[in-house]
Amino acid sequence: MNKPLILVVEDDKPVRNLINTTLKAHEYRYIDAVNGAAAVMEAASHNPDIVLLDLGLPDMDGTEVIKSIRSWSSMPIIVISARSEDTDKIMALDAGADDYLTKPFSVGELLARIRVAQRRISSAQADAGPQSSLFTNGDLTINYAEGCAYLAGEELHLTPIEYKLLGLLAGNVGRVLTHTFITQKIWGSSRESDIASLRVFMATLRKKIESGDDRTPYIQTHIGVGYRMLRIDQQDIPMKNS
Amino acid sequence: MRSQKQPGKGREHILVCLSSSPSNERIVRTAVNMAAVFGSQLTALYVETPNGIKLSDKDVDRLNSNIRIAEEAGANIVRSHGEDIPEQIAEFARLSGITKIVIGINSGSKKRLFSKPSTTERLFKLVPGIDIHVIPDTDTYRSYHEKKKVLSRDVLPSWKDLAITFALLAAATGIGFLFQRLGFTEANIITVYLLTVLLISILTRGYICGVLSSVSSVILFNYFLTEPRLTLRAYGSGYPVTFAIMLLASVLTGTLAAKLKAQAKLSARDAFRTKLLFDTNRALQGAGDDLEILLVTASQVSKLLEVDTVVFPAEDGRLNDGLLFLTGSAECIPLDDETGTEKTAAEWAYTNKNQSGSGKQTLKKARYFYIPIRSGEYVYGVLGMGSAKGERRVSENGILQSVLGECALALENHRNAKGREEAAVIARNEKLRANLLRAISHDLRTPLTSISGNAEALLSNSDQLDEETKKSLLADIGSDAGWLEALVENLLAITRIGDGSVKLDFSDQVVEDVLSEALRHIDKKAADHNIRLDCGNEPLLARMDARLIIQVMVNLVNNAVKYTPAGSHITVSASKKEENVIISVADDGPGIPEKMKDKVFEMFFTGDNSIGDSRRSLGLGLPLCRSIAEAHNSELKLSDNAPHGCVFSFALPISEVDLNE
Repeated sequence: MNKPLILVVEDDKPVRNLINTTLKAHEYRYIDAVNGAAAVMEAASHNPDIVLLDLGLPDMDGTEVIKSIRSWSSMPIIVISARSEDTDKIMALDAGADDYLTKPFSVGELLARIRVAQRRISSAQADAGPQSSLFTNGDLTINYAEGCAYLAGEELHLTPIEYKLLGLLAGNVGRVLTHTFITQKIWGSSRESDIASLRVFMATLRKKIESGDDRTPYIQTHIGVGYRMLRIDQQDIPMKNS
Repeated sequence: MRSQKQPGKGREHILVCLSSSPSNERIVRTAVNMAAVFGSQLTALYVETPNGIKLSDKDVDRLNSNIRIAEEAGANIVRSHGEDIPEQIAEFARLSGITKIVIGINSGSKKRLFSKPSTTERLFKLVPGIDIHVIPDTDTYRSYHEKKKVLSRDVLPSWKDLAITFALLAAATGIGFLFQRLGFTEANIITVYLLTVLLISILTRGYICGVLSSVSSVILFNYFLTEPRLTLRAYGSGYPVTFAIMLLASVLTGTLAAKLKAQAKLSARDAFRTKLLFDTNRALQGAGDDLEILLVTASQVSKLLEVDTVVFPAEDGRLNDGLLFLTGSAECIPLDDETGTEKTAAEWAYTNKNQSGSGKQTLKKARYFYIPIRSGEYVYGVLGMGSAKGERRVSENGILQSVLGECALALENHRNAKGREEAAVIARNEKLRANLLRAISHDLRTPLTSISGNAEALLSNSDQLDEETKKSLLADIGSDAGWLEALVENLLAITRIGDGSVKLDFSDQVVEDVLSEALRHIDKKAADHNIRLDCGNEPLLARMDARLIIQVMVNLVNNAVKYTPAGSHITVSASKKEENVIISVADDGPGIPEKMKDKVFEMFFTGDNSIGDSRRSLGLGLPLCRSIAEAHNSELKLSDNAPHGCVFSFALPISEVDLNE
């Protein structure tokens, strides 16, 4: 498979150098942009496979760049944020970003995130065929027609809400879904009590689907942000995340 | 009275005397202008006299309006009472360090029966060191005092008083006849008359009956009981003297008795006021916060006036909803105010610092009438009362003002205490921050030196260095950078809780998620240790600031890693205990010596100093953890692990969540 083309949007030169060097060392193709306007232009003209986007850009807010790209493309966008406040990550994710990294990050972490995004592209291409009523991810299978989920062939006993949550996560494998996004989809509202409920349901759901022998982590918890289902790749488990 | 305020050199303190006279407004305004010119403190004094009881409604209104004028100009209002006005003024002026007195000529005193020197003249004698500015009573003089004459009609004797006088005098004359028949001396008869005058003075209102009976008794004595009988002539050469002395004695007795009565009334009122103020004061001292102080005041006023009271507490520059105290009830209920009229009236009183509502010019449709509770320019809330009549009755006596004054004082004290506390906290934080900065700038140098030095070595000598050396230099850079990163995380957490102004971001979190997230952020050195997470099977939810709790866990686990030998076991666990989740980090390392246990929570303490630079630490971790636990109303505890090692633990309240199925 062709190595994907990555657009690096970062105004700080040392960090840009670090990312570029890392990508080069791992044989990714890359282009870079130093501000928001250039980023939108590069994205439009080169149609990259993945975007690494720094949120603090000199000319415009990173969220604007996401909105602009999302108006015509669903390419994976990984946000890089120096601020450790959760709110701007959540804003970026709600604007359509797939994932986020907090500075300072390690090179290993960066590469892992890129691999997650790559898998999302490939699974999206695989699903592009006739609408499948089956979803598989590692040992986990969801049969949408039956309304049932299986783990290693055994049926999981899920409550309606848990099944809905699983379906929602499975439909967005690789993407970090914010609390607001999930509660809006499940309950149609997003009060604090909904988010607290969500945490409880997620905890019980995880207990059920991660009870296999290898305790494969299907669902990642992002404290203060949301949840994500990981695409389990047989050769790449368990993956260490941030 | 305040005696503690001794003005500094050149600092003026002006005293203006309040009265119900129409010209008093001009006097108050003059004093206000003077205070403005001198830039001085202004105090307005109202001396109540026993005569004060006689004030008509109009006088009370005028007095209140004068008080308001002074209040609006920022004056301190003081009430004192006593019969001798100049004495009271002088006493107050001496004690409060007054430098100038502004007063109007009290012409009323010249009309008294015993013409005393005027107030102003006496004042000059009493306080020779103080400037006295006399503002003449001019055009309004005549009409005011004419009115006063008419007003004093209620001092005229009633028919009942006259009947009593008549009956007692008749009885005395009867006794006189009896005594004469029995052959007693005239002295006994005169004594009987004096006794009668005394009785009449006590039993009737005012001086009139007393004086009337004095004169009558002399005439009656002369007419009926001296030779020649039934004439006003007397044969005895001593009689004119007897009559004169008798008249004088009875007039004196009569007026003295009347005065005594007035004094008794005044002191009864004083006792009542003192007790009430004492009660209020005690209740106010027991009150914990602003709202409680206002509620105590409202219930006290309700008790005092026997009316319903409403209190609107002010918060952040606006009024909250009203709380109603019904007469005779100690509990308050929310005010039923559908139309919003009451709130509007209260808000008007709040913003304009003036009275409003029922019986006032402004917003008279309101059921209650409202008084702002203020000290200086700051309004703490608004008090509403059921009837304006009640206010008038008591404000005449100054008790309401005193209670409100006490309330405002308590609120001001409370506010000042809060301010001082905040200032102390700020000062403490500033000190802490200064220490922190000093420690940081010192300790940052070591890793920075290593990072920049190693990078330089790699850049300039990269050809001469073998692969092994390069790798070790790079590893050093990495580890020092990691150390800096951890430090920055702690510093961020400190800035969030340190200044106290930032509200923690509380939410209900699944404890296991938080703990596993924390374990992802621990030191790379932890790979040599066995770390286990034990959270039980049931998901436990606790209310916390997740980011800060993660920081606590990272610090605790990193500490355990740092101070235990490789291969030690570290157990991170969460368990339910009653209404709490107990979160703990236990290790089986060497433990902490008893004498160091207290010290580990101190800032900049770094365990065994022999560890040196290889395991450097700022000693911020544990104090920070403890502060974070405190911010969660919890306590970070240190205990021993069996057979050796130590356990750090803290509790968070379990949160109950209603699941939206």
